[in-house]
Amino acid sequence: MGREAARQLAPQSNPTRETAPSAPPLLDVQGLSVRFDGAPKGVNVVDDVSFSVSKGKTLCIVGESGCGKSVTSLALMGLLPTPPARIVAGAAVFDGQDLLTLSERERSDLRGDRIAMIFQEPMTSLNPAFTIGDQIAEGIVRHRKVSKAEAMERALDMLRKVRIPAPEKRLRAYPHEMSGGMRQRVMIAMALANDPQLLIADEPTTALDVTIQAQILTLIRRLQEETGTAMILITHDLGVVAEVADEVAVMYAGRVVESGPVEAIFDDPQHPYTIGLMGSVPSLGRRQGRLATIRGTVPPAELMPKGCRFTPRCPFSDGHCANDPPPLAEIRPGHRARCWYAPLELHRGAAS
Amino acid sequence: MSMMPSSDIILEGVGLKKHFGSGGLLSKPTVVRAVDGVSFGIRRGETFAVVGESGCGKSTLGRLLLRLIEPTDGDVRYEGRSILKLSKGEMRRLRRDLQIIFQDPYASLNPRMNVGDIIAEPIWLHNLAAGSEKRERVADLMRTVGLLPTHSDRYPHEFSGGQRQRIGIARALAGDPKLIVGDEPVSALDVSIQAQIINLLEDLKDRFGLTLVIVAHDLAVIRHMSDRIAVMYLGEIVELSDTDALFDNPLHPYTQALLAAIPIPSPASRQPKVLLQGDVPSPAAPPPGCRFHTRCPHARPVCKEQHPALETTPDGRQVACHFWRDIQGAGAGSISAPPPSAALSQRLALYRTWRERQDKTVATSP
Repeated sequence: MGREAARQLAPQSNPTRETAPSAPPLLDVQGLSVRFDGAPKGVNVVDDVSFSVSKGKTLCIVGESGCGKSVTSLALMGLLPTPPARIVAGAAVFDGQDLLTLSERERSDLRGDRIAMIFQEPMTSLNPAFTIGDQIAEGIVRHRKVSKAEAMERALDMLRKVRIPAPEKRLRAYPHEMSGGMRQRVMIAMALANDPQLLIADEPTTALDVTIQAQILTLIRRLQEETGTAMILITHDLGVVAEVADEVAVMYAGRVVESGPVEAIFDDPQHPYTIGLMGSVPSLGRRQGRLATIRGTVPPAELMPKGCRFTPRCPFSDGHCANDPPPLAEIRPGHRARCWYAPLELHRGAAS
Repeated sequence: MSMMPSSDIILEGVGLKKHFGSGGLLSKPTVVRAVDGVSFGIRRGETFAVVGESGCGKSTLGRLLLRLIEPTDGDVRYEGRSILKLSKGEMRRLRRDLQIIFQDPYASLNPRMNVGDIIAEPIWLHNLAAGSEKRERVADLMRTVGLLPTHSDRYPHEFSGGQRQRIGIARALAGDPKLIVGDEPVSALDVSIQAQIINLLEDLKDRFGLTLVIVAHDLAVIRHMSDRIAVMYLGEIVELSDTDALFDNPLHPYTQALLAAIPIPSPASRQPKVLLQGDVPSPAAPPPGCRFHTRCPHARPVCKEQHPALETTPDGRQVACHFWRDIQGAGAGSISAPPPSAALSQRLALYRTWRERQDKTVATSP
């Protein structure tokens, strides 16, 4: 297909993979806030979230369950049920358009075409009553002026691209006939069928075994290099983040608490939550004593503190933290943390 | 870690097999060989881990060890005695010693019982205490696992995932067990909660002199917790070794592939990896010869025909591979996670100091 070739050529003809400072990011989210009806006043499930992702780059959103990472991605895709969810503030500019102000019709033109999504559960996101080929072709026919036969041809191409063995046979297979890793490959094929500019992957490898996870991550990376697709990868696994991310946003209880280039996050973490998270993960080297832990659990919405939401669990917190929400302040160019006492060794170094 | 005499075996599996299913009237019989001839001993006081990918039979093995399911063939010996011939009553008495913690803490707690009753059930069942003494024991157990005794009249749905897992642990402890099998005890939990439960299990092990058998797929957790590791593939043990030896120098190609696939939490050590191709074959039709030969990068013709026995290496490890001597150090060797950066180590130390202080203030405040 000529169109595909043209799109594939584009990133290769442009050798500067690092983003020039002048080039605007592909997606720029500013101050996104989402509220669920019935939540206590002033407690947004996603609160003042900002991040951006550039062409060919990968942004990882890290956080534990309930931190709002999936709600954020669903809000961007326009997939949040409204009500109860309401977007109360913010803008998400994708290639010059604000995603949050589009009509439903415009959104569905965008979804699956220029923005695609991969979900965690490959079993539940595929329709058991249709063949793999039909399901991939459906998205192509919806967005492109092609015949069913051409769409099937393209579907076959995609199966080859995601390296599914015996693709001609698999095209006529039903989801239940495939393993979890194969189903996730189908999901990727489906998401990439229209050469999207942005791919949102919500925990794409969490349900998979570690050897299959490694295969899928390698595959995603290789396809990204070929096509120049930007990616937002949502995960709770710091190992996966270290393997694939260019930029990282760490979320806690609906807010971004730290963001920056992946090296900065791992080598120079600033927020106590990020540090606690890293201490909670067992190292792969020889055992080094007990794990550091983060006390307690995420508080329910009605007990959410006024100030920094990490206050009740943070070892360094005090009254200031509980009452005044800290800003997402720049520590170094591009590296931000939402903590009054960052860097900690300066403000909390002397054991008082 | 544990300095127990290596010959002191508390629980032993001998040639254990578990085959599930058979044909119906009209269909061809399919037998799933979930566990297919596994022998090993668990030493008193150690943490023994069974690791493998989904479908390798590790959970089935855990249940066989406690006789929660009956093996097709083979024997389980506890303190040198077979537990397969015990009567129902004898088995019930033995259950006090051998306990299990499940992966999904919600599915394994009765939603209609309050937490106090859930934890008291084994105490009542084994006639260990009654009346106020029983209540005192329940309160004690709840404190031990980090729950508030005042919450004993609450129901499981009122607790978070981590707290539910603590309830499951308190219930397992209620009968003063000698050995606890943890079937993926932390894999359903968030990272920060996972660390709390891992530390709790280690504390309890020290405090009560327990032997732990951890069935899991997360190799980092296993490396942190266990003394010895058995790696399973398609119902068989392919390697059994001390933890550090296994991670420093994996012998079996499957172990090597498994280690290579772990994402390393350090962006600086990103590198292209040699990856295992394909999926695990169906345990209903395991490949002939060495079961790993269909995915093994080192496979030779003999691997397709001859099934390798689990042999003991000169340094006391066990491995089932025809060519482990040749494969050693051939590429996929140990994984090396670089040490954390100076800034991270400094802040982690600071975090630990303040974290301890945080715990102390909690202990003194009501």
